[in-house]
Amino acid sequence: MQMQFDIQGGDFSAAGEASSEVKKALKQLNIQPQTLRRIAVALYEAEVNVVAHAYRGTMTVDISPARILVQLQDEGPGIDDIGKAMEEGFSTASDKVREMGFGAGMGLPNIKKNSDEMHLTSTPGTGTTLEIIVNF
Amino acid sequence: MDKPHYVHAIQINTDKCIGCSHCMRVCSTQAIRIVGGHARIMPERCVDCGECYSVCPVAAVYVKSDSLETHLKQYVYKIALVPSVFFGQFPAKYSVSQISATIRQLGFNEVFEVEQAVDFVKEEYKLKSDEPDSPKPVISSFCPSVVRLIQVMFPSLTENVFQLKAPHDIAAIYLRDINSTTNIPPEDIGIFYISPCASKIVAAKAPEGEDKSPTDVVVNMKEFYNKVYKRIIELKRIDELKRSSTMTSDSVKWSLSGTEREYFKGRSLAIDGVENVIKFLEKLESGHITDIDFLELRVCDQGCAGGILCPGNRFLTVERIGERQKRLQERLIENKVVNNPLMKYKEQLHRVSKTEAIYPREGLLLDADVEIALRKMQKIKTLKSYLPGFDCGACGAPTCKNLAEDIVKGEASMSHCVFVQRVMEKNYKLSPEQAFQMIEKIWGKNRLNKYSENHGEKEPEKTD
Repeated sequence: MQMQFDIQGGDFSAAGEASSEVKKALKQLNIQPQTLRRIAVALYEAEVNVVAHAYRGTMTVDISPARILVQLQDEGPGIDDIGKAMEEGFSTASDKVREMGFGAGMGLPNIKKNSDEMHLTSTPGTGTTLEIIVNF
Repeated sequence: MDKPHYVHAIQINTDKCIGCSHCMRVCSTQAIRIVGGHARIMPERCVDCGECYSVCPVAAVYVKSDSLETHLKQYVYKIALVPSVFFGQFPAKYSVSQISATIRQLGFNEVFEVEQAVDFVKEEYKLKSDEPDSPKPVISSFCPSVVRLIQVMFPSLTENVFQLKAPHDIAAIYLRDINSTTNIPPEDIGIFYISPCASKIVAAKAPEGEDKSPTDVVVNMKEFYNKVYKRIIELKRIDELKRSSTMTSDSVKWSLSGTEREYFKGRSLAIDGVENVIKFLEKLESGHITDIDFLELRVCDQGCAGGILCPGNRFLTVERIGERQKRLQERLIENKVVNNPLMKYKEQLHRVSKTEAIYPREGLLLDADVEIALRKMQKIKTLKSYLPGFDCGACGAPTCKNLAEDIVKGEASMSHCVFVQRVMEKNYKLSPEQAFQMIEKIWGKNRLNKYSENHGEKEPEKTD
């Protein structure tokens, strides 16, 4: 089962719509409520990251009986230092973004915590690709 | 897949139902379909909120409850367990003690207000707010429809529901306890709970996370109101019972929206109205909302004052309860202290006040097997692309997506859709006769005759 969503950079009012849709679909499958919750949190954080930092992006979802694989690909400034970005509390979010309640620097660590596998690759100046796997 | 048995108070009388689909359109969990000219409720999805009951134009949706007369004869010592909203149904000229005295005249030995148990609940809230590792936000279990909504639509939030028995249960346990010292055999004591809604009837019949409710009989508040009101206007003079202050003033507002949350430490919200509750839980479950400690949720707008079995206007009820709170507050200033007899039993009550864990229901599940469910989901997606997306409801399902789901479940077919029918007719895949039969299968025989007859607007019979 595949799904795909476009994410618009800067559209905070719509942030979370794609991950909500994925969560709705997952509720029709017999997966553990706790797993569902982990997926929901990881996807929401990942979606907000694209909205907060990139110009635009896509979320591609692949659900198989054993796991969910989500790829978020964005066009944006990319990440200079992935190691640093993974630290709790580190954020490059602008003051404006922080005022809206985002950009606390917990996004990536939170995604890692709530997923079974996470792969982050980035080309500064071009964009970032994040891959998340959660096993059912 | 074995379907568990779910108890519901909301029922449909197919003799009265005209299959108008009003109920199907307002159902928040998409639990209603029209089949054979009548509404049909899916038990695994219904949360007994009663939205359907409120919109039914022919009173075909009804609420199953116990008969007052029959059960009054069954017990020797009868206790009426009455929620505060009941007193709020009456014009201000009737006092709470007058109404209580009238209830006794109907054959009750004792009248006990449900909210008397709220002082105890407040202490439990304090204890719960101090627990460091309970999943946040803690969600109030006060509204049984909210609990069921979470079980059906928000499975990952079931562990957040506070496992505390409802005030009517706490009150009933207390009443059993104090009456156990009398010489009346326990089976002769009948506790009659007067319910403001369908969902609390279910809670009193088949409580979630409890084996059995300590109440014995559940009475529909509308019916009870009619009996009490008839009596109260007949009586010339009502002997008021002099009572000391046993009720804490804000407890009377507990079932409305906004009081409960004040007793839970930290950040809390009070949300009422089924659509508001669903929207919020959707965001919460998606991880959009964090750092909230407590949620007070009510499926009815204005909380229990908007209960579907409350005969009065919800806003008038809220105003009257507010006035009563003020009076109780003034009385407190005179008497200095509230002497709630129930609180003497708080240690005993504490030991029995918890419910078992709450588990998800399978209302949204396509199949227990993930692989089969995924295949079905893929099929639904494909079918949906052939449906117009108007959500017109002419197929007997509330949305095109629901029709696609029903087809995959084997409960409907593509030709249920009137738009697909036209395409099939054009391609000679369906004859007009077959299309007509299909509509009759959904909406009932003779449904396509004169509509006016179905709406009770019969033409006057000719006299010549």
